Amino acid sequence: RAAAERPRFAPRQAPSKDAVRQLCQECFCSPPAALGPLAQRACPGLAVSAEEAEQLVSALHNLTRHVVFRGLTRAEDILCLFPENFHQNLKNLLTKIILENISAWRNEAQASQISLPRLVDMDWRVDIKTSSDSIVRMAVPTCLLQLKIQEDAALCGNNPVVSALTVELSKETLDTMLEGLGRIRDQLSAVANK
Amino acid sequence: AADKIRLIPQDFFAELCEQIIQHLNHKIPGVNTAELCQRIQTSGVDINIGDLAKVANTLSFLFSTAARNNLSTEELVTTLGSGISTLPKHAVQVIRHVWNEQGKAIAVSEDAESTATVGQFVDMKWKLGVAMSSDTCRSLKYPYVTVTLTVADPSGQITDKSFEMTIPQFKNFFRQFKEMASVLETV
Repeated sequence: RAAAERPRFAPRQAPSKDAVRQLCQECFCSPPAALGPLAQRACPGLAVSAEEAEQLVSALHNLTRHVVFRGLTRAEDILCLFPENFHQNLKNLLTKIILENISAWRNEAQASQISLPRLVDMDWRVDIKTSSDSIVRMAVPTCLLQLKIQEDAALCGNNPVVSALTVELSKETLDTMLEGLGRIRDQLSAVANK
Repeated sequence: AADKIRLIPQDFFAELCEQIIQHLNHKIPGVNTAELCQRIQTSGVDINIGDLAKVANTLSFLFSTAARNNLSTEELVTTLGSGISTLPKHAVQVIRHVWNEQGKAIAVSEDAESTATVGQFVDMKWKLGVAMSSDTCRSLKYPYVTVTLTVADPSGQITDKSFEMTIPQFKNFFRQFKEMASVLETV
């Protein structure tokens, strides 16, 4: 399976190492649908035909995604993905680049997996309500909490939508919340100790 | 709002009025518009949640104004008659009945809760999960916390907001809440 994914690469005029590095990053990040345009952009820099650029970009995308999917971390495991007659220096370079990026790519994959909206920020403030149109004098401490929630997580940053939720908590409701959070913390410890 | 009210079947309209009165009486934290809308839609009536929310707001305003002015049932019905003349008969009947039964019990609120200008926290539900595998990573083992906050907005409508946190985020979240609680103590 891995061998079928390899490109028929003949780098007559090899682009610079940095260019290869950049290309690997872009190929990993790109969703399958955006590979076409990516190939078009990369084509001039690679001095290959449009069709070859597409095959190349596609192969790099599959290779990098495959490595992250399988959780490969050793050079040997990556090297053996290439076909036998593959250009030696290029194989080593690509493996090196992939190894350098593996942990960042894995984090990105985790961060962009399907999920509910994510909490991205929280701010709070404690106020004292001193008076209002219906009550002349009071001194009620109250907490204002603002949660910023990102609705749309996408790999390699498209435009996520962030909404703000502002909530008021009294001492009682805050205690209820703390009780719930304490139970989560207890569960986490229980799971961690298994 | 009158033509939207026309759409709502009588028993659902009565339920809505009930919830609004109970909310004004501080017996319930808010009106569960989303849930009610779902049930109305299931019964075959084509109403969207925005319209139902507008109806709820109008009714809430009507009842709270009537409470503040100490209107009797007849006075309330008269006001209705002159203002919104196109209200369907069954709606007027429901309003008259609900007001008769519970309207006078609405205390003009004296507590701090009624001065809310932002959403009020109602409830929190949570779940601790571990993502095992995804299309991008075959072996994930990624723990996360999911939280659903139930909030009543100033008009009394209840909504749920769900979101996820990573474990480090959760720890920070917890820490912030402990901070808030200690500040609230000392203030």
